[in-house]
Amino acid sequence: MIHFDHLTYTYPDAPYATLTELTLDIAEGEFVLVAGPSGAGKSTLLRCLNGLVPHFTGGILNGSISVAGLDPVIEGPRLLSRIAGFVFQDPEAQFVVDRVEDEVAFALENAGLPPADMRVRVEEVLHVLDLTPLRDRELETLSGGEKQRVAIAAALALRPRVLVLDEPTSQLDPQSAQEVLGALVRLNRDLGLTIILAEHRLERVLSHIDRLICLPGPDKPVLSGPPGPVLHQMDLTPPLIALGKELGWEPLPLTIERGQAFAKETVAALGFQASGQNPNPEPLKPETLLQVKDLSFDYDGTPALHDISLTVGAGELVAMMGRNGSGKTTLLRCIVGLLSPRQGEILLEGESLVGQETADICCDIGYLPQEPDALLFADTIADELAVTLRNHGLVDSPPIAPADLLARLGLDDLTTSYPRDLSVGQRQRVALGAVTITRPRLLLLDEPTRGMDYPAKRELVRLLREWQAEGTGVLLVTHDVELVAQAADWVVVLDQGEVVAAGPSATVLTASPLLVPQVARLFPGTGWLTVDDALTGLNFDPA
Amino acid sequence: MLDARGWLLWALVALVAASSTRNPLYVVLLLLIAMIVGGVCAGDRDRRAIMSPLRFAVVAIPLAALFNGLTAHLGDTVLFHLPDWLPLVGGSVTLEALIFGAMNGLTLTTIFSGFTTFNRVTPLRDLVRLTPRAFHEAGVVLSIALTFIPQTTRSLNRIREAQAVRGHRVRGLRDWLPIVVPFLISGLERSMGLAEAMVSRGYGAISDQAQPPRTQRLLVLGLFLLLAGWLALLFLPTWKGIAVGVMILGAGIIVGVVWLAGRTVSHTAYRIHHWTARDTFAALGCGLTLAVILLPLPLMDRGTLYYSPYPRLTLPPFDLFIGLGLLGLVVPAVIGAAHRVDQT
Repeated sequence: MIHFDHLTYTYPDAPYATLTELTLDIAEGEFVLVAGPSGAGKSTLLRCLNGLVPHFTGGILNGSISVAGLDPVIEGPRLLSRIAGFVFQDPEAQFVVDRVEDEVAFALENAGLPPADMRVRVEEVLHVLDLTPLRDRELETLSGGEKQRVAIAAALALRPRVLVLDEPTSQLDPQSAQEVLGALVRLNRDLGLTIILAEHRLERVLSHIDRLICLPGPDKPVLSGPPGPVLHQMDLTPPLIALGKELGWEPLPLTIERGQAFAKETVAALGFQASGQNPNPEPLKPETLLQVKDLSFDYDGTPALHDISLTVGAGELVAMMGRNGSGKTTLLRCIVGLLSPRQGEILLEGESLVGQETADICCDIGYLPQEPDALLFADTIADELAVTLRNHGLVDSPPIAPADLLARLGLDDLTTSYPRDLSVGQRQRVALGAVTITRPRLLLLDEPTRGMDYPAKRELVRLLREWQAEGTGVLLVTHDVELVAQAADWVVVLDQGEVVAAGPSATVLTASPLLVPQVARLFPGTGWLTVDDALTGLNFDPA
Repeated sequence: MLDARGWLLWALVALVAASSTRNPLYVVLLLLIAMIVGGVCAGDRDRRAIMSPLRFAVVAIPLAALFNGLTAHLGDTVLFHLPDWLPLVGGSVTLEALIFGAMNGLTLTTIFSGFTTFNRVTPLRDLVRLTPRAFHEAGVVLSIALTFIPQTTRSLNRIREAQAVRGHRVRGLRDWLPIVVPFLISGLERSMGLAEAMVSRGYGAISDQAQPPRTQRLLVLGLFLLLAGWLALLFLPTWKGIAVGVMILGAGIIVGVVWLAGRTVSHTAYRIHHWTARDTFAALGCGLTLAVILLPLPLMDRGTLYYSPYPRLTLPPFDLFIGLGLLGLVVPAVIGAAHRVDQT
């Protein structure tokens, strides 16, 4: 169905090739996951499939690609749209019109299909993706998961034989991501559609795939094959696989159910008995840094937050979770004064923040918004830090030496680089530097791991731990359950603007089925959340 | 409920009617009609918009009255006198001038109300579908540009907020740099992303099909004739008849070329609106209003359309038949109400 033959591709002005001598085959009906670190060429590979590379990008391409017998380089993306449907990371960025049904019909209108045929096709894809009840809805009113399903429906309207998706769940909460993946599995199993998907959060997808392609980065060979053997050769994997590798589970379990069977065997073999001792005991609440009391906020009369109360202590990491639209970002914006609450109090070390200017509040609170690119505009990374210092009048007496902060952020080799040329993880760290150069006592991070690969996430956790050790409080908004399991002391869950759960991470994460980390599912009742918890708890000695 | 062409006709007739009379009684009647049609036909889409003409009136009418009252020193009923040495405003301020200004404000409010109603009842996509097939791609680009506006506003707000959290304050022109640069870059990135997404769904395949040389030659001929006729009209007044004929011929050829080019476009439309009896009924209502405004029909006193408060304020006259004729514009509201009753 799809054949890459010694494909080498170099972006214009790039010093080295993004894809080198890539040779692989994908059979019809396969569900394929493309994994690898940021910048390894996942999106490039996907864009080669419908001709966006090189038609949109330019660059030098050697070797050949064949998709259902057509060469995308020769035919171009317009013709390939009938063979390979493409879904991008951000559903909103690809919508052309404003209503579900019209959006699905857009490709059919371009293809000049007779209206009667269009009706049949639109009905078909709306039905397959469970969108029939939403057909007349304005796209703006849909949830994240629903929007992504509309984007998939729009790509499927031309009945392509391949569906290509570039990180389709990266902006979704676990429930919405499950909706989208469920739809993809149905399309693959019921209709035999070939699906090729790039994704960073492997734990969401591994249980569904037939083939795993790993692009490990420059100068390393591409791995391709059934997921088990490929996962053995990958450095960074989800907790289930990491634990399986450590404990020698063979074949590596791809589903929690398979993992649970291995876990039982391991527990029996090691003679482990649950001691009842929790490796993640309830943390002592440190001295309060931020206190939010009975906070309510309305958007044009529509309640967005209702009676929210929470605290963040010095050196404490509080994770805030909840579905898209549950009010997490709104709360952060209220704290830094971008929104004025209807009622309630926000105190930083006992001092009220309500009514203060954002620019003043943000000298003491570092706020990293969801899109770090909105912060970046200077020519170099060093300039970005200097701009913040200038804004706060701290150029002559910076609370931290910029060079020290850049070294801590792992950006000391890149001080003169143009920030927007960097990878997602690096840009995120530059933005973090731009908001922490004032040495704030509290950090508010809104989805900082969106689009980040495993090494970048590990680096972020390391940084946050360092800052925590120095007494900085962190309020982290995220959908990433495994990140919360690793880093958070306390978890607050919001739903429809209200706090529905709050407590130590081990308690909250194991209470809701959608928030349970993989290790906690493997060893229920033990209180273990991470691979390290499990290995320590099992007294596992690799020797 | 109604076809976009029907709504377009309604908006044009409402505009012609509001601009053709200075009689405040007729203008108020037209304002009420526009608000009723908007209220009934826009359904639940945006209830707050019903009151927007009144909010506009609160600003426009006093401002227009004040401006005219201070600058037009006509009329018999002097309210007070401003010193003559004051430039422009110096002189008598009269009741008639204030009323005339208020009437201008009322006319502006009525035109605004007509456009607001048209905007609320006609989805943009339906209007884009009215563009000739040959200009389909331009229509899509226009619709995207319009849907881009709210997205662009959101993007600007996001960037403004992101800079504020770095302690940025906008005090002067230079302070806009940290907002403008990411705004432009993100706009370009967004445009590229959308272009990729659209091409991935087959958009633009039409533009790959070049028009046959014959069509292109005809277009050049049409443009040449139009230009030649226009120049002849300007510089050869004795050839006026021939010049107009050449211009009509040129315009006809251009229309023909657009029609021919549209036939080669393979694009089709998912939603096809058919002209129904309801549209005919609404169009007849518009025709009635247009007739009483423009035609010298018997039994009607067309002089009542041209009321003036000068030199001394009098009560505006009202012709029952003209008033009834203006009610032709309320037909869409009657159809809308009947449609709702049918649905319930």
